[in-house]
Amino acid sequence: MSLKNNMADVFSKLDDLKTVFKFGEKVVPIIQNLIEFMKEIVPLLEQINTSIADSTKQMPKATYQINDVTSATELATNEILDLVDQISNTLERLEASVDGLIEQSKSRDELRIKLLNVLAGNDEAISIFNEYEKLQITSGEIDEYKQIIKSVSEDTYKITLSLQVQDITTQQLGAVNHLIVSVNNRLSSLIENIEKSDLHSDIEELSIELPKDVHFDANATYNNREGKQDAVDELIEVENKKTTQAEIDELFK
Amino acid sequence: MDLTFLVVDDSVTMRRIVVNTLKNIGFVNYVEAADGKEALQKLHANTNINFVITDWNMPEMSGLELVKSIRGDENFANLPILMVTTRGVKEDIVEALKVKVSNYVVKPFTPAVLKDKIDQILSQ
Repeated sequence: MSLKNNMADVFSKLDDLKTVFKFGEKVVPIIQNLIEFMKEIVPLLEQINTSIADSTKQMPKATYQINDVTSATELATNEILDLVDQISNTLERLEASVDGLIEQSKSRDELRIKLLNVLAGNDEAISIFNEYEKLQITSGEIDEYKQIIKSVSEDTYKITLSLQVQDITTQQLGAVNHLIVSVNNRLSSLIENIEKSDLHSDIEELSIELPKDVHFDANATYNNREGKQDAVDELIEVENKKTTQAEIDELFK
Repeated sequence: MDLTFLVVDDSVTMRRIVVNTLKNIGFVNYVEAADGKEALQKLHANTNINFVITDWNMPEMSGLELVKSIRGDENFANLPILMVTTRGVKEDIVEALKVKVSNYVVKPFTPAVLKDKIDQILSQ
């Protein structure tokens, strides 16, 4: 009985072994495929790792370049502002000269009347004088010059206003720079952890938020449309019209 | 009215533009500061300053912190403060109103808007 039991046990174990072999037959190709896959994927992962490491090394260079761009545009903008100031000063002097011409023109008109009275009866002298007068700048022409100076002066000032774009782009570049630095930090820590084979937590940490102490506006836009200021005015009006709790309390007393 | 403005902005370009605009609309007296901290120093050193125009985003001390400091000092509690900034979202404007800025201008501004806001503040 005992031998029979032992044999049954052996057969049962052999059956198990057979199942294991059958399972093995099915699993071995899968494992082989897995090994092949690993052989292919590991160099690829190494390549990705190297690529990320290279990109990470390039990032500080990118931030320096952005800082250079910011400095260069600020320098150029200030040079333009210097020139605009020079032009404005020249225009002011020119305008003062034209004002002087207007005064001279008034005096000349008075002298002209006196001279014509003196020349009365001398047709030849009057004719020569009239020819001479035609060569003089008229008060109409002087007014026209004044209008031109005013127009150039206004256009010059518009250039100044347009240069606000420099401040706005500086803030945008500041935001880009900050993002690059943040991505760089995250990637550096990711590379470190890839080597430790701990990917999950770092991938989850890849989302980047701007800290509150930055001194740029990431949403700065150069937009000349008045709508933006109108929206601000409207909001200020609404906020200022809000009844305070103290006022409400007063009503219920 | 003979006003002396304190123009606060970390951008040299913007300070020059604001100052040029002030000159253009008839205000010739001004003092400049590059951040909130410098602005406070200038404010305490120069008793003639009677109007502040400040940016929001600045290093060292932001415009918002500057407004809080000014409003926290009883000597300057009623000093007119105009915020001129790129920040145009509702939450920012509400935050600025909470710290009691006198008015708010979004960059890029026009001389007409700046003059209008200064006039509004002065007439209050």
